[in-house]
Amino acid sequence: MTFLRLDNIKKSYGDASVIKGVSFTATKGEFVVFVGPSGCGKSTLLRMIAGLEDVSEGQLYIDGKDVTYEEPAKREVSMVFQSYALYPHMNVFENMAFGLRMAKRPEAEIKAQVMEAARILQLEALLERKPRALSGGQRQRVAIGRSIVRHPKLFLFDEPLSNLDAELRSQMRVEIAKLHRSLGATMVYVTHDQVEAMTLADRIVVLRAGLVEQIGSPTELYDKPANTFVAGFIGSPKMNFINARVASAMGSSLLLEHPSFAGGKLDADTAAASRAKVGDTVIVGMRPEHLTVGTAQPVLSLTLDFAESLGGSTQLYARSEGEPVIVLASGRPELKPGDTLNLGIDPRHIYLFNAAGLAL
Amino acid sequence: MRGKLLHAIGLAAIVVFTLFPFLWMVMASFKTQADILASPPVWFFTPTLQNYVDIFADTKVSGSILNSLIVATLSTLLSVTLATPAAFALARYDFRGKSDLWFWFISNRMTSPIVLALPVYLLAMYMNLLDTHLVLILIYLTFNIPIVVWIVTDQFKSIPPELEQAARLDGADQFTIFRKIYLPLGAPGIAVSAIFSFIFSWNELLYALVLTRRNVQTAPVVATSFMSGYELPWGKIMATGTVIVLPVTIFALIVSRHMVRGLTMGATK
Repeated sequence: MTFLRLDNIKKSYGDASVIKGVSFTATKGEFVVFVGPSGCGKSTLLRMIAGLEDVSEGQLYIDGKDVTYEEPAKREVSMVFQSYALYPHMNVFENMAFGLRMAKRPEAEIKAQVMEAARILQLEALLERKPRALSGGQRQRVAIGRSIVRHPKLFLFDEPLSNLDAELRSQMRVEIAKLHRSLGATMVYVTHDQVEAMTLADRIVVLRAGLVEQIGSPTELYDKPANTFVAGFIGSPKMNFINARVASAMGSSLLLEHPSFAGGKLDADTAAASRAKVGDTVIVGMRPEHLTVGTAQPVLSLTLDFAESLGGSTQLYARSEGEPVIVLASGRPELKPGDTLNLGIDPRHIYLFNAAGLAL
Repeated sequence: MRGKLLHAIGLAAIVVFTLFPFLWMVMASFKTQADILASPPVWFFTPTLQNYVDIFADTKVSGSILNSLIVATLSTLLSVTLATPAAFALARYDFRGKSDLWFWFISNRMTSPIVLALPVYLLAMYMNLLDTHLVLILIYLTFNIPIVVWIVTDQFKSIPPELEQAARLDGADQFTIFRKIYLPLGAPGIAVSAIFSFIFSWNELLYALVLTRRNVQTAPVVATSFMSGYELPWGKIMATGTVIVLPVTIFALIVSRHMVRGLTMGATK
C-alpha cells in the first residue's frame, strides 16, 4: 500500500530550479534512501516532505492525505537533523518531551514515552544531562529519541551520521537499521554516502541535479545501473569506464576496440548488441572488485602504476587512456610498478552503456 | 613570562585609571569640605558621615532616587518587552522594508539629543506631560529600543535555525518558539541590552533636566542642582554620586549572571 507519494514535485528559488520534478512512492514500513552528490537536491526534497520548504509545484501525500500545503506539525513527521538541533538549554528528558508537551499530552504519558525511548536508545543514565555534556554519538541518539517519542507516521533523517567519526558512524548505522526493524516505521533517509545507502535502504532513490536518475533496491542499482552516473555512484571504489569503439556487431556479439583491451579487442556477448552500430562509442564498465589479476584469458592488459595495500586486500591503479583503471585484488599480489597486469572478468559483470551514458 | 608581566602591568594601569575617579568620589563623600579642598590632597583623614546625613535630611535626594528607579526600571522592562519580539522578527523573517526598518533603528541614535530637546519639550508641554514619569519613560524608550533591538537581533541570529525547525516539527507555534527557544537562548544578549538600557536611563541628564520640574526630578538632576549658588558643596555632590552609582552597580551584577558565553553550545554538532 502506498504510504508516501511524491507527485511531480518541483522546487525553484526565483529562476533557479532546484528540484525539477520528482515522483516516487513508498509503502508503509519501507526504508527509502535519497542519495546523490552534494547539491543534487536530496536535502531540499526531504525538507519539502517535512514541510520546512514550500513545494513550488506538484503534490505530496502522506498516508493517503494531501499534505502539500499542510503545516509541518500537522504532517505527523519527525526529523533528525544533520546538526542534531537539540535544544541546548533543556536536558535530555526535556528535549525528548518537548514535542509531547506541545501536543499537551498528560504528564504520566510523557514520562512513559520518554522513558521507553530512553530505554530503546540506552539514554536512561543521561536524562538529566544537558546536550553540551554529551558526546557526538549520545547527542545523535537524543535526536533520534526526540523523533521516536511522538510515534510519527514518517521518520525523516537528514544526513544524520555525517558529523560522527567513522567507527561511531558504522555503529549508529547498525542502530538505525535495528530501530527501523523494531519500529516497523516508514523512514526516508538522506545521505551522500553510498555505503549508508546500500546497507540501510530497502529502496534507493539516486538523485542528480534535481532529477531522479534511478530508483531501485540496492542490489538492483548495483547489478543493473540505468546509466553511468548511477554505475559510478554505487559501489566503492568507483566503477571503471573505458570508452571503446564498436568494430563489429553481429547477433548478440559485439566486438569492441580499445588499446587497453588485451589484444586491443573485447568480445562482449549481449542481447543489446543489435542496438549498436559499427563506429559507435560504447562505454564499457567494470567494477574494481570484479577484475581478477593473473588470469589465463585476460580481458584487459595494462601497466601497473602503483598499489595501495589495505591489509586484507590491495587496490591497484593501472595506467590507461584517461582515468586510471582501479582493481581491488584480494590478498597482497606481488607486483611492482611497471609490471604488466593481465586482468580477467566474468563476462556477466561487464556493463555496457551508449555514448550518452545510458545502459545498453 | 615577560609578556605576561607586561600584560598584568597594562591591565593594572587600566583598572587604576578607570577606578580612580570612583575611589576619589567615594573618598570625598566621607570627607569634610576642608579635607576635600586641601592641597596637597589628603589621603588619610577622619571619615565623616555628615554628607550622607545632609543629603538624606531633605527628601530631595531619596525622592529623586525613587524617581530614577521608577523611570529606569519601567523603561528597561518596556524596551525589553517591546524590542525582543521585534528582534525575533528581524532575525528570522524576511519581509519588505526589513533593511530600511533596521537602518531606522540605528539612525535613531545618530541625532544628537540636544537637537531634539526643544521640540520634545514643546510636544510634552502641549500634551501636558511635563514633569511626569511617563514622559521620561517614553523618551528613554526611543533610546533604549534601538539598543535592545540591535543587540538582541544579533544574538538571535546566532541561534541555529535548525532549532526553530525542530521545534516547528515538534508542533510549536511561533510564539512558543520565541518564548521557549529564543528568549532562553538569547538571555545573554537580552541581559547586556537590559544593562545598557538601565544605565542609560539611570544616568540620562539632558532630557531629565529639560522635561522635569519638582515632582519627578531624577537623581542626576538633583546631583547637579547642588552646583547652584556661591559655594560648591563637594561632599554632598560626591555622596549623592556614590548613592547614584550603587543601584546601577547592583543591577549590573545581578544581570551579568546571565551573560554566560556558549549558551548554545551542544545544540549542533
